[in-house]
Amino acid sequence: MSRYGIFICHCGKNIAETVDVEELTRRFSETGKLTVVEDYTYLCSDPGQNMIRDSIRDNRLNGVVIASCSPTLHEPTFRAVAEQAGLNKYKLEIANIREQCSWVHDATPEATDKAESIIGAALARVMHAEPLVPIKSPVVRKALVIGGGIAGIQSALDIADSGIEVILVEKDPSIGGHMAQLSETFPTLDCSQCILTPKMVAINRHPLVKIYTYSEIEEIAGSVGDFKVTIKQKPRYVKPDVCTACGDCSAVCPVVVPNEFDMGLKSRKAIYIPFPQAVPAVFTLDTDKCLGLFPLACGNCRDACSIGAIDYDMKPTYVEEHVGAVVVATGFDLYDMSNLGEYGYDQIADVVDGLYFERLLSASGPTDGVVRRPSDGTIPKEIVFIQCAGSREPERHKGYCSKICCMYTAKHAMLYQHSVHGGQSYVFYIDIRAGGRDYEEFYRRALDEGVVYVRGKVSKVYEENGKIVVRGSDTVAGGSVEVRADMVVLATPMEPARGTDELVHKLKLGCAEGGWIREIHPKLRPIEAVTPGFFLAGAIQGPKDIPESVAQASGAASKTIGLLNSEEMVKEPIVAAINEDLCVGCRLCVQMCPYNARVWEEDRRVATVNAMLCEGCGVCAAGCPSGATRQDGFTDAQIVAAVEATLEGPKDLIRKIFGPPSSDIVDIEKEMQEMADADGVSVEAVK
Amino acid sequence: MVRILQPEERREAVNRMHELSNQDILLCLQCGKCTAGCPFSNDMDLAPHQIVRMAQLGLIDELKASEAIWYCATCFTCVSRCPVAIDIAAVAEVIRLYLQMDDEARFDPESIPKSLTENAPQQALVSLYRKFGN
Amino acid sequence: MKVGYYPGCTLKGSAKALDETTHLAVELLGSSLTEIEDWTCCGATTPLTETRIANLIAQTRLLAKTRDAGYDALVTTCPFCFSTLKRANLTLANDELKRRRMNTYLAEDRRLRDYETPPPAWVDYSGETRVLHMLEWIRDDFGFQVISTAARVSLKGLKVAPFYGCQLLRPADELAMCDPENPVLFEEFLGALGTDVIDFPNRIDCCGSYLSVARPEAALRASCKILDSARMHGADTVVVTCPLCFYNLDYFQDEMLRGNPEFKQVPILYFTQLLALALGAPLDKLGLDSHKVDPGPLLERFTVNVPGEVPA
Repeated sequence: MSRYGIFICHCGKNIAETVDVEELTRRFSETGKLTVVEDYTYLCSDPGQNMIRDSIRDNRLNGVVIASCSPTLHEPTFRAVAEQAGLNKYKLEIANIREQCSWVHDATPEATDKAESIIGAALARVMHAEPLVPIKSPVVRKALVIGGGIAGIQSALDIADSGIEVILVEKDPSIGGHMAQLSETFPTLDCSQCILTPKMVAINRHPLVKIYTYSEIEEIAGSVGDFKVTIKQKPRYVKPDVCTACGDCSAVCPVVVPNEFDMGLKSRKAIYIPFPQAVPAVFTLDTDKCLGLFPLACGNCRDACSIGAIDYDMKPTYVEEHVGAVVVATGFDLYDMSNLGEYGYDQIADVVDGLYFERLLSASGPTDGVVRRPSDGTIPKEIVFIQCAGSREPERHKGYCSKICCMYTAKHAMLYQHSVHGGQSYVFYIDIRAGGRDYEEFYRRALDEGVVYVRGKVSKVYEENGKIVVRGSDTVAGGSVEVRADMVVLATPMEPARGTDELVHKLKLGCAEGGWIREIHPKLRPIEAVTPGFFLAGAIQGPKDIPESVAQASGAASKTIGLLNSEEMVKEPIVAAINEDLCVGCRLCVQMCPYNARVWEEDRRVATVNAMLCEGCGVCAAGCPSGATRQDGFTDAQIVAAVEATLEGPKDLIRKIFGPPSSDIVDIEKEMQEMADADGVSVEAVK
Repeated sequence: MVRILQPEERREAVNRMHELSNQDILLCLQCGKCTAGCPFSNDMDLAPHQIVRMAQLGLIDELKASEAIWYCATCFTCVSRCPVAIDIAAVAEVIRLYLQMDDEARFDPESIPKSLTENAPQQALVSLYRKFGN
Repeated sequence: MKVGYYPGCTLKGSAKALDETTHLAVELLGSSLTEIEDWTCCGATTPLTETRIANLIAQTRLLAKTRDAGYDALVTTCPFCFSTLKRANLTLANDELKRRRMNTYLAEDRRLRDYETPPPAWVDYSGETRVLHMLEWIRDDFGFQVISTAARVSLKGLKVAPFYGCQLLRPADELAMCDPENPVLFEEFLGALGTDVIDFPNRIDCCGSYLSVARPEAALRASCKILDSARMHGADTVVVTCPLCFYNLDYFQDEMLRGNPEFKQVPILYFTQLLALALGAPLDKLGLDSHKVDPGPLLERFTVNVPGEVPA
């Protein structure tokens, strides 16, 4: 005997103001075919949950529809309730009559009809639903952290400190990221390297952390709890375990090129170490710049290395690691200034970006912290800082606010005035965004120190008579203004680190506007990527400063630790399944599956499902020509029934599903009595 | 004089501006890049960003009375650099259109001294009459 | 590609020199330009308000006429015509409502007019004619390399400052000709003529346009700034494509001098005058008598110095 229950939520006024809940309840009740039809102000409240639980238990329901908000919100709540009441939780369906009905319609009879239709479809689905069992699998107690900047370092340290092994992969020759390039950090002005290098040393020494630098993720397979990761180690042509970083090799190298770490302000050799505190302290041979290895054009470095650390025959190596969870911390890069034609970057040597200026200010930088013009090495007397140079320009560059520029520009303007006596900083800005503890105070300090803030954007930067003419506006005073400066610093937008697209593709993560990696929920699940088992740390999610990156990195570590400390992974059984008797072996599903979850078994000539890899997208079930593949939770029977129920329209819907109205109202007591009599037991035992 | 902001008038003015210019002036952040690049912003009584601001607030009468709308040479420097791609030349053109609709156009071709018109290229006269006249 | 030439009103009026040297230069390149028949004014400006639909009629009629005469493209020298026609063309190609209104009107107009010999019925126009500026046409049809080879007169040592003005550049996404901030087309052309091209920051500014008639003091300031900047960067001459730029930069130099005795006059040239000169045209064919600031003394030293026949 089928016993179905419908529970309709008012959600306060959210639903009830638009949809006539009483009318809905009446329409479903009067079919006489449903065991329970109830409505309630807030079904998600404790009393609401209790009501559902008791009703399922008391009426021995074997299918439930909850008409309420989106299943992304309370489906877990109500399914837990069903489980408590002894009903298989996949026999409970949510009918979303809030986001898909009441919130998007006016209070008209049609809105109520639509809600009825949505509920009817859910009822049709639940009638054809099979009880399902969650899929369980073991957990590999090891984590992967991608990206060795401050966020990656912090995550890896936190995870390792909890006793879990960590693999850290960094694409550059050294860990440290952009933070290693910075001068002093706002708002406290402590030296960036001084606070970063202890962490770099700590992670390098940590017994549970294995660092792969100059390496990239080649491939990642598997799913949450058990990922198989292939790491490509690019050949550095220097054996890391032999090299002592003595520098004999680079002393004899004839090739001089700009050093990327110093934004080209200083040079390096083709065989180099990016900066003195690099971790690992190992030289790397840059074959793009080297005179040539095949055939060998020079060979000076190998000859100079007395301990034989240099190996020209090194090839890329591929390492396979198994991990249970992944922290993605690949960070940001700055937008290319040459896109900003009006600011003259390609024409004028003394127009630079923020990172370049950081190197100029850095005490350990190429100019020992003395601010010098790139063109002629003189000390600039007037500097113009242009904020939002590409940020907040949705039609031309990046629409978003890069968030950190207001603070670092205030810092630049101040530090420059500290270092050059009589120097004058001008900051062109649109808005000052100084949210965060001590940030507003930091901005006011810049004002107090005589930094001139001009409220307006710059339209054109050009050179004239040895000066850089900056033509901007002062929207407060009204009209345009010109500053004749010696140097211009552009606060260009942050954007996802180069190569993020490719990584997103490999990891199968979701992207938000601007190419940043998206989280499941921006407020309530801000650390989890949309694909299970991946956590986000730092600026890969969107512009972030150091404190935010570090906080999120620790959050990602904590999520990772929590996941890896669980006994086993539990996965929703909403996956593809195969009826092997029907499989004709066409292997269409194997080709179609985006997750490599369909496996061709040559010996038995059937295509089975790896349930741990299956994401339940349904492509194989839709494509299977023989009907052998079934999508659990979304079977053809369920979908066809739901579509039919919907197409019938509100009026005929109930008749279609349940047949003509019956005067024979289901009497639960009577029915139980009959069952008890038939089985020869007491009514209490049946209940 | 205190400007009293009227919600209805403002909404109507913004909608009308959108209909006539196809520009969504509400997107303007008041960054001032238009004013910074405009060759005539310092000749104007209202800078270009102020023109857009007033249009946002629906202060159409003030715009109609301004000198600024007669200084736009439609060189499109503002349009080409605007972060939100608002065509301010079109906004100014709509204000001049309003004056024409009211029959209050303050441009009188006869008032221009002959010395300025007799040698001017034909294109200057045609475009001037099209921009400023009827 | 069959190209029709559209001179526009100013080239038959105050800028005859531009029209004549355009023809002369193209002939010296061994080609010729055919003027489209029965042309009218292009409207000179692009209507920016949605109601000024009537201001698109002239452009539509012209572009359709060009198509109907069997041309693939229309080439024009005046940037006002170029911008107005190209933008109208885009509107007609992309804005369905305006396209329908234009075509309905023009079809009806043709039907109702009392022609002696009625023309064929109007065929809907939706942007088929390509609109080219002379510089683009020279680059694509001849190539700057060809010009360089064909030059009989070396202009080496002539310091020229290219002035783009507005209508060739903006709005860049519609005109699709140059990078609006760092254009190179004009420089490449002048470089091919062998001149020393001067880079100056004001080359993409506005000269004041039609404000020289309505608000002369503002236009004068803008023009003066451009000339000062060009001079300061070492230019012997400022080269333009636009008759209105020419007028604003050339005609008012006496007044600039009156306003500022320090002001140094600088001759203004049309790009076609320089092209014709480089291709061997004699000075007296360049229409230099229409200039307020005489470029004659500057150009005299550039005489024919490559052997070969000089056209009369």
